[in-house]
Amino acid sequence: MIPLAFTAPLALVGLAALPIVWLILRVTPPRPRRLPFPPLKLILDLQRKDETPARTPWPLLLLRLAIAALAVLAFAGPVWNPNAAQAPGAQTLALIVDDGWPAAPTWARRIAYASAEIEAAGRRGAPVALVAMSEPRDLAAVEPARALERLRALKPKPWAPDRAAALGAIEKFLGADTSARLVWLADGLETGGARAFAEKLASLASTPIDIVSEPSRQRALTDARNETGALSVAVLRAGAAGAATGRVRAFDLKGAPLGEAPFDLASATETRAKIELPVELRNAIAWLDIDGEHSAGAVALIDERQRRRKVGLASGASADVAQPLLAPDYYLTKALGPYADVREARANAPDPVGALIDDGASVLVLSDIAVAPGAMRARLDKYLEDGGVIVRFAGSRLAASGDDLTPATLRRGGRTLGGALSWETPKKLRPFDRESPFFGLKTGDDVSVSRQVLAEPEPGLSERTWAQLADGTPVVTAERRGRGLVVLFHVTADTTWSNLPLSGLFPEMLRRIVALSAEMEQAPAPAEDGPLARQTRPEALAPQRTLDGFGVLGAPPASARPIPAGETARAGADHPPGFYGAGAHALSAVNALAPEERPKPADFSGLAHRAVALEAPQPVDLRPLALGLMLAMFVIDGFAALWYAGGLTWRRANGRRRGAAAVVALAASLALAAPPRAARAQTPPPQPQATQRDISAALATRLAYVVTGDARADEASRLGLQELSRTLAERTSLAPAEPVGVDPARDELVFYPFLYWPIVATRPQPPPLAVQKIAAFMKQGGFVVFDTRDALTARAGGPPSPEAQWLRELLAGVDVPALEPVPRDHVVTKTFYIIDGFVGRTANGQTWIEALPPEPAGESRPARSGDSVSPLIVVSNDLAAAWAADRSGATLYPLTPGGPRQRELALRGGVNLVMYTLTGNYKADQVHVRDLLNRLGH
Amino acid sequence: MNAARLLTPGERRAAFGAREEAHALARRLPRAVIAARDIAASILHGAHGRRRAGVGDAFWQFRQYAAGESAARIDWRRSARDDRLYVREREWEAAHTIWLWIDTSASMAFVSDLAMQSKLDRALLTGLAFAEMMVRAGERVGLMGLTRALSSRDVIERFAESLLMEERADHAPPELPPALALAPRARALILSDCLVDPAAFAARLSTLASRGASGHVVAVADPVEETFPFSGHVELRDVDSPAVLRAGAAQSWRADYIARLRSHRAALADTCRAHGFGFLVHRTDRPASEVLIALRGRFEAGATA
Repeated sequence: MIPLAFTAPLALVGLAALPIVWLILRVTPPRPRRLPFPPLKLILDLQRKDETPARTPWPLLLLRLAIAALAVLAFAGPVWNPNAAQAPGAQTLALIVDDGWPAAPTWARRIAYASAEIEAAGRRGAPVALVAMSEPRDLAAVEPARALERLRALKPKPWAPDRAAALGAIEKFLGADTSARLVWLADGLETGGARAFAEKLASLASTPIDIVSEPSRQRALTDARNETGALSVAVLRAGAAGAATGRVRAFDLKGAPLGEAPFDLASATETRAKIELPVELRNAIAWLDIDGEHSAGAVALIDERQRRRKVGLASGASADVAQPLLAPDYYLTKALGPYADVREARANAPDPVGALIDDGASVLVLSDIAVAPGAMRARLDKYLEDGGVIVRFAGSRLAASGDDLTPATLRRGGRTLGGALSWETPKKLRPFDRESPFFGLKTGDDVSVSRQVLAEPEPGLSERTWAQLADGTPVVTAERRGRGLVVLFHVTADTTWSNLPLSGLFPEMLRRIVALSAEMEQAPAPAEDGPLARQTRPEALAPQRTLDGFGVLGAPPASARPIPAGETARAGADHPPGFYGAGAHALSAVNALAPEERPKPADFSGLAHRAVALEAPQPVDLRPLALGLMLAMFVIDGFAALWYAGGLTWRRANGRRRGAAAVVALAASLALAAPPRAARAQTPPPQPQATQRDISAALATRLAYVVTGDARADEASRLGLQELSRTLAERTSLAPAEPVGVDPARDELVFYPFLYWPIVATRPQPPPLAVQKIAAFMKQGGFVVFDTRDALTARAGGPPSPEAQWLRELLAGVDVPALEPVPRDHVVTKTFYIIDGFVGRTANGQTWIEALPPEPAGESRPARSGDSVSPLIVVSNDLAAAWAADRSGATLYPLTPGGPRQRELALRGGVNLVMYTLTGNYKADQVHVRDLLNRLGH
Repeated sequence: MNAARLLTPGERRAAFGAREEAHALARRLPRAVIAARDIAASILHGAHGRRRAGVGDAFWQFRQYAAGESAARIDWRRSARDDRLYVREREWEAAHTIWLWIDTSASMAFVSDLAMQSKLDRALLTGLAFAEMMVRAGERVGLMGLTRALSSRDVIERFAESLLMEERADHAPPELPPALALAPRARALILSDCLVDPAAFAARLSTLASRGASGHVVAVADPVEETFPFSGHVELRDVDSPAVLRAGAAQSWRADYIARLRSHRAALADTCRAHGFGFLVHRTDRPASEVLIALRGRFEAGATA
């Protein structure tokens, strides 16, 4: 059945008018092509018998009929996938809602579906009975509005509820109202007995039940194991519908992400994700979840049992690599390896135990080592005081020695059971007492002890006994020492005295001891020497933080009950998944999924039921589509009509207007169809514009000065450079163009090889941009003459003049090379004239230039230069003012001491500077020409 | 189906080219004139000039006055320079006078997408090129009713100016050449689409040829006018009358139209032959040089005949 409905089906009557439309359209031909035809008179008098205009072409007719039909359809309000208008009638609706964690990922959709059902029932006036699987109560049909309220109040539970519990209430309800329609929003997992529940429901209901579900997509985490090198967790999915790839994320107790690991289920339903982190970080992991999977099942809580602790192994036996199976370390390593980081003492280390303690081992396993009083004993005592756990294994050495680092005083020698000289048979283990940390472990019949060391019977021995043989002989004893714990296995860690190391009990026992070590570290020193087990293992652990159905940790609900200590509780209404216990560390985690639990998709085949997809397709209003299609067809019709009328030619000017109309129509339809962001235009980035000034600057070489803003200084610069340019043109082959004043912040500097910068201390510093540009200018080979003009005010060795201070500030952010006073043999003194210094309006100022590399020894050269032109020169003699002159050559500014010779020297200095700028170190070689020629002559 | 259209008034004016109107000059005149020159140059044949003294406009030489000659022939200005008397001789020009008439009526301003250019453009181009060609060959060419017979080098520009002046006059351009009786031995070239009543055409032609002039009539036709390539629902409008023909299925009119056209052409050709005129049809989808070559051949044949 096509899921199509009409909101106004009456409008479809309009379809009956289509034949009339067809008739009308058929006799209305398209507009004729209008053409000028000069020789028309030749045929004007001809009379045609057939002057009936051509019929409307059939494709056009069809198109227009389609438009008309679409209009009628649009008016009828077509809706695709109309809301399930369920069976009419006032049947009571019994809505059973799965609210375990498997329902959490799709909770919103479930609630939406249930709401839609309840609302539909409301429209029909049918009462609704709502029951959540986790809280079976007596079902009662209520008004839909109240049912809706109850539905909204539902939250998914973090456990998978047992469905059988709800059956009683449903049965009762159906007994009262046999005609009720049963709708079960199943979570799609078999967990909780889905099949049995469905069978029972089917047998109860008179009509086929509606089972609303979807292909089970739930993914879950379970069985987190802190293995060597990585924390691995089983990623499960119930069916292949769940996403195959994803990431497992790890968080610490405060919720900070610690790491993540990808997984790929491919086509399997189970894989393991490994989170590889350093062991310290791994131990801080409090829970794992699947990224994006919001359910309690997708969260694996990690407690102390999964923490990896460092366990140091030291053995008194000499290491026998050749026969590893006989070495006690072998069994210990195997037993501890899965959940602890085992560090073995190096075979020939001078102080193996000390090294292990230094390594930070939480648990020290000493197998058959006799601890003699002395340094080692002191280390171990200190270790115990600090909360360390020492696990000792008996052996011939321990039996022979008499050390007292044992929970109980030992008899020398021990005893042998079932040997050749003994009446007795090897003894089995007695089930563990409640006080024992091993309580809950199955002792089994396979463990037998054939030899052991014996504890002296003394008061309090039974309290210190964790495990005993069937005859009551202690096999494992423990005693608190300081904040630490000493545990003694009265047997060896290898198989010579008992087969305990071969049994599955052995790793479990060790594991509990290792877990205890964590508590040891946290627990305060005992105030009194009470029973050990009571202190360390409280009877029950109160819920601390529990998960909600969506897998978020929060305060435990009021219904949460403590879990018995030492047991792995199954998650349920009483024990919601979460952390149990007190404090931040010795927490016990209850997970939504038990490690061995594997969710399976529910199978309802063969049951009388109606399967309904949860993912009900949303009703789609087809009206916009119909109208849009109509519009598009109108456009097509317009083009077609134009084409039939011969208007679709825009090659000639005559067709231009029609073409333009068509283009406008096309653009309009595209604009309607195209998303608005298509119209977003990208403005091109502004291109740097070469100004007229730049162009003229690039065309001619010219001197430049920095406009300081001080009118007098700028005027002096301008006049001085003008005069210098004139002098250069007269005396050298360089004919510079008119000098130009530049603003480093605004103007492009690359065109000017020579920049004169008179320092005016009263002016503000140029902006940072200008300083950057000046720095770049100097880096690119530009030459700046800074003129501090302070020769008369500056004193050598005195405080810097304001100008010098200003210059220092300016150059603070610039990479300025080391400067030195211009040496007499510097090439700048010889580039054109041979001069002694740079004279300006004053003659006594110092001139600084980039320091030259030191003179090579043994070679005297008349001129020296660096590899490149100095980027700057700092003068103080106010050069420009000395250069400046009027037309007749008279100086414009008073010179000190004065005289035409000084001005000439100033000009010569200026010429040398410009030549130095333009020719670089060329003259340094040029002065050797005579020598070179002499050498060539030889 | 083929599109056909009339030239807009702007295009129409531009077709004439005008010195005064910079637009038109830029758009059309240089093109027309240059094209006309190019075509004329490519068609130009050997010297037609007589290169000897005779009756003509252009100076040929001075020669000494011979006793007995009419004193009026003495060129006094030259003679005053020395003691002898000189007679100015002019080059003998055995030029025909060729009268050109270019139809600029409304029906000429028509172009279809099959044609290379409008009939008007083609007629102007052909006429101007022909004039240039003939002037270079030493003939004198005049625009019938507009200019005197010229043999100057800038005949194209002057003709174009005259045509433009005429075009800018307010009256509708005539469909037939002016009713002049051309001088004997004068030759006429009539460029028109000849879409006129054959009787009127015959009457006008007889007037033109009444004193013994001969010439050629070139019927410029658009390919659409020749082939009637219309089909379907078409409304045909006349260009100079409000007549409209609505054809439901234009294709059914084709055979009739072509028959009518043929008989119309035949009537025109008969008229031309009767008055000693040649008649040829030029389609605007053919290059202009084609008709120029044909015209040159015909005029040379006429000159020698």
